[in-house]
Amino acid sequence: MTVMDRPHDVMGHGHEEGSFLDNRGLGFWGTIWDWASTVDHKKIGVMYLVAVLTMFFIGGVAGLAVRLELFEPMTVNAANEVEGVLFNAGKLVQTETGEMVRDRTLTAAGAGNTYNRIFTIHGAVMVFMFIIPSVPAALGNFLLPIMLGAKDVAFPKLNLLSWYIYVVGSLFGVVALIMGGTDTGWTFYTPYSIQTDADYYRVVLMVGAAFILGFSSILTGLNFIVTVHKLRAPGMGWFDMPLFIWAIYATSIIQVLATPVIGITLLLLIFERLFRVGIFDPSMGGDPVLYQHFFWFYSHPVVYVMILPGMGIISELLAVHSRKHIFGYRAIAFSSLGIAGVSFIVWGHHMFTAMGELASAVFSALTFLVAIPTAIKVFNWIATLYKGSIALNTPMLYALSFLFLFSIGGLTGLPLGALATDLHLHDSYFVVAHFHYVMMGGTVIAFIGGLHHWWPKMFGRMYNEKIGMLGCALVFIGFNVTFFTQFILGTQGMPRRYASYVEHFQLLHQISTVGSWILAVGFLVHLANFLHSLVAGPKAPPNPWGGLTLEWETESPPIAHNFHHEPLVKHGPYDFESVVPPHCSEEDYPLPKSVS
Amino acid sequence: MIQDAANTVSQAPDALAPFKSEQLNLIAGEGGALEQLLFRSAGQNVQAVMTDGLFLLIFWFSVFFFVLLMGLMVYWVIRYRRRPGVPAPVSASHNGPLEIFWTVVPSSALLVIFIAGFRGYMSKVVAPTDAIQLNVTGIKWDWNITYPNGERSAYSLPMGTKKAVKIFVLPEDTSIQLLMQSKDVIHAFWVPDYRTKMDLYPNRYTTYTFHTEKLRDDETYRDHWIFCAEYCGDQHSEMYGIFRVVRKADYDKILTDWSAGSLSCEELGQLVYKNNCISCHTVDGGSGIGPTWLGAFGTTRALEGGGSVLIDENYIRESILYPQAKRAAGFSGQNMTPFLGVLSDEEIAGVICYYKSLGSQPAGGGEAAPAESGAAAGGSSTGG
Repeated sequence: MTVMDRPHDVMGHGHEEGSFLDNRGLGFWGTIWDWASTVDHKKIGVMYLVAVLTMFFIGGVAGLAVRLELFEPMTVNAANEVEGVLFNAGKLVQTETGEMVRDRTLTAAGAGNTYNRIFTIHGAVMVFMFIIPSVPAALGNFLLPIMLGAKDVAFPKLNLLSWYIYVVGSLFGVVALIMGGTDTGWTFYTPYSIQTDADYYRVVLMVGAAFILGFSSILTGLNFIVTVHKLRAPGMGWFDMPLFIWAIYATSIIQVLATPVIGITLLLLIFERLFRVGIFDPSMGGDPVLYQHFFWFYSHPVVYVMILPGMGIISELLAVHSRKHIFGYRAIAFSSLGIAGVSFIVWGHHMFTAMGELASAVFSALTFLVAIPTAIKVFNWIATLYKGSIALNTPMLYALSFLFLFSIGGLTGLPLGALATDLHLHDSYFVVAHFHYVMMGGTVIAFIGGLHHWWPKMFGRMYNEKIGMLGCALVFIGFNVTFFTQFILGTQGMPRRYASYVEHFQLLHQISTVGSWILAVGFLVHLANFLHSLVAGPKAPPNPWGGLTLEWETESPPIAHNFHHEPLVKHGPYDFESVVPPHCSEEDYPLPKSVS
Repeated sequence: MIQDAANTVSQAPDALAPFKSEQLNLIAGEGGALEQLLFRSAGQNVQAVMTDGLFLLIFWFSVFFFVLLMGLMVYWVIRYRRRPGVPAPVSASHNGPLEIFWTVVPSSALLVIFIAGFRGYMSKVVAPTDAIQLNVTGIKWDWNITYPNGERSAYSLPMGTKKAVKIFVLPEDTSIQLLMQSKDVIHAFWVPDYRTKMDLYPNRYTTYTFHTEKLRDDETYRDHWIFCAEYCGDQHSEMYGIFRVVRKADYDKILTDWSAGSLSCEELGQLVYKNNCISCHTVDGGSGIGPTWLGAFGTTRALEGGGSVLIDENYIRESILYPQAKRAAGFSGQNMTPFLGVLSDEEIAGVICYYKSLGSQPAGGGEAAPAESGAAAGGSSTGG
């Protein structure tokens, strides 16, 4: 393990050692350099947190813009003018003198072009720059070594490199966006992505961004795998690890195995655009379906890169806030690995409208396999509540929201996995609603819940519990209003990625748009609460929730080296029935009589 | 005048007038409240009924489990809420038989759903031998369907932002097979009322099948939306069409009406224009994705990258077949679809006739404003 060469080390390992956030005597530029050159996993985690939340903001604004545009359909009035268009950036066109100008003449095509760029921003930013790194890179980086009782990840410098690669990749995306964005959708389907915007390099930049971000993902995954194998504290066997670690471990395996495939695919796409190679473009003898196979071979497993860490968070939240041993620990741990394994053989279910009968049947059958470990997890989580001592606070409300929303997300996967119904629902709003319930109702809800759970640990400050619960309620209501309506839009026949629609869909679209505003207010309430907490929140105790995992043994925020002494693991992560939590009194956290 | 020429060419226009109606007769409001909410109306044909049945099976299965799980969750959260100083009682941390039970039971249910899904799927992809084969072509951003006797749709109606949304007629109570192909990027042909869709690819065929419903006695026709479901660019959301189911006798009459043989060169060109070109080119001087056709013939056009060309018959032909060969200045980044192998010589000749009919006076006169887009572009260029 690396010995960190930081000013704090001068003070030795006594109890005087300061928090990792301590920047006394460094000055402004010194602090900046201290963070920019840090190899401390906690600082890197916080830097990731700031970066992914920035991306969440950009992607969220684009999402709100998409909803706003869909408030009414486009029509043509008597004077032959297009109506119902809320924004029209126009198209870049070349004048006769060779100059580039924006043609803002309002046409359906021009409005559609602007809309297509905005939904592409929303999708690409949310998937590649927010959800994939959100839980593993931000919370995972901060928590994984501490939960294992280690001083840092196995390769701290590599960890910092991952962050810089992430920033460079994101900058590529932002530059493409400033240049006018791309209209390929986040999936970059060929041949559209090969032909569109032929005169510019924006598509290459955007694809390049996803390519670069992949390396960040691979390196983080590699780092975590080695850390889990090599740096567990003495006494911590595989089945003494918190389930969050199991989830991150399964996620890391997928990241390392699947991401290279998308890297190669995106590189081929760039070659195809720049050098006209002829792999995917049918006009040169290529095969566009091949691109879809390559793309989904990565992008389906990556769905589980997004959701598995969220599931890990939920396991922690439910156990701690109901003071209950997680029900079926091994079943949850193995189902994480099971999901990771099966996720590699179900990619074809994104292509039922593009494949033959045999391939479709095989992929449909395999798809139902992945439902089983997921269902097992939900049953186990709910069984954990039985005979618990359940505290209803913001993290727990988020955990319960997760169970509600993720169950809907999972169950609505069934008609998409069944072939007959999928041919109707494929590429409709039903799919949009389904994956938002899984990605947002699952991962994002778990991420925000986890952020509330570990916020006192990360920054040493409590937040206002009532405001947190208010924010949670707004997010829950806003989310359902926004996305439940979209299930019905989908079954009624509304295709996705439409800038306009036939009139009878308007009411549902308007309800959905109003929901997106409630959702936005909910997130702003959380943001205000967190900012207030940083400035004026009361100091957090080391173990505000009575948790038993190792991060609650150290101070809040943790000291630079995480622990004063290497921790020795003597109890399991969920032995609430026999262990008084560290830094807590038995008066506050009494043990059942039969044991104490 | 010219605009209605294609529509009015028929021996008995009055008899077929109902089928050119702009009044849509969409099915709505049949079936139970749940079916109306989910699908706007209960399924009308065998494929839709099968799909709805499976969807509702999954729906009730999901509702049962969801209510059970959420009911337990809410009940336990209230029942076991934290009381200060009271510990949680010791309870089992796992239960083998229970866990096996809740693994096996949902797995068996999933098997049933899979099999039902596969059966319904086969009824949508395997066409009966007596099915009528329609050749569907997707092209940015419109649909073309060629009927077995070579006819194409000649009826259209204005809708949304489009001047001409095509109406394709189908005979009632008949099996239809769609043989589909794209001319440019990927599209998907979705008929929500028939609950099925399939992608269209360039350079490969895809296919699916459905059986049209029987009309009620009080109907002369019934309409179904066709949407493009695979993202295809600027006017993806405007790429729709109408399937109009009619009685078999009417179907034959309409196809006769559509026979393009009786069209003049100019009328044929206008028909080809409506079927292929209208998404990008205007004929009234308005701006579009490509240059307007009004008053363009015989003028000189500035080309991208310098130079100019006289717009004559050969330039039009070249631009239809090889659009990138000589691209007009001001339309950078617009990749027109090549129509090589799509349009016949007769159809191209028709387009040229129609193009010529739109006049050859230079821009600047009258109410039409072909200079509009040029003026916007030119105005900005003086700054640089």
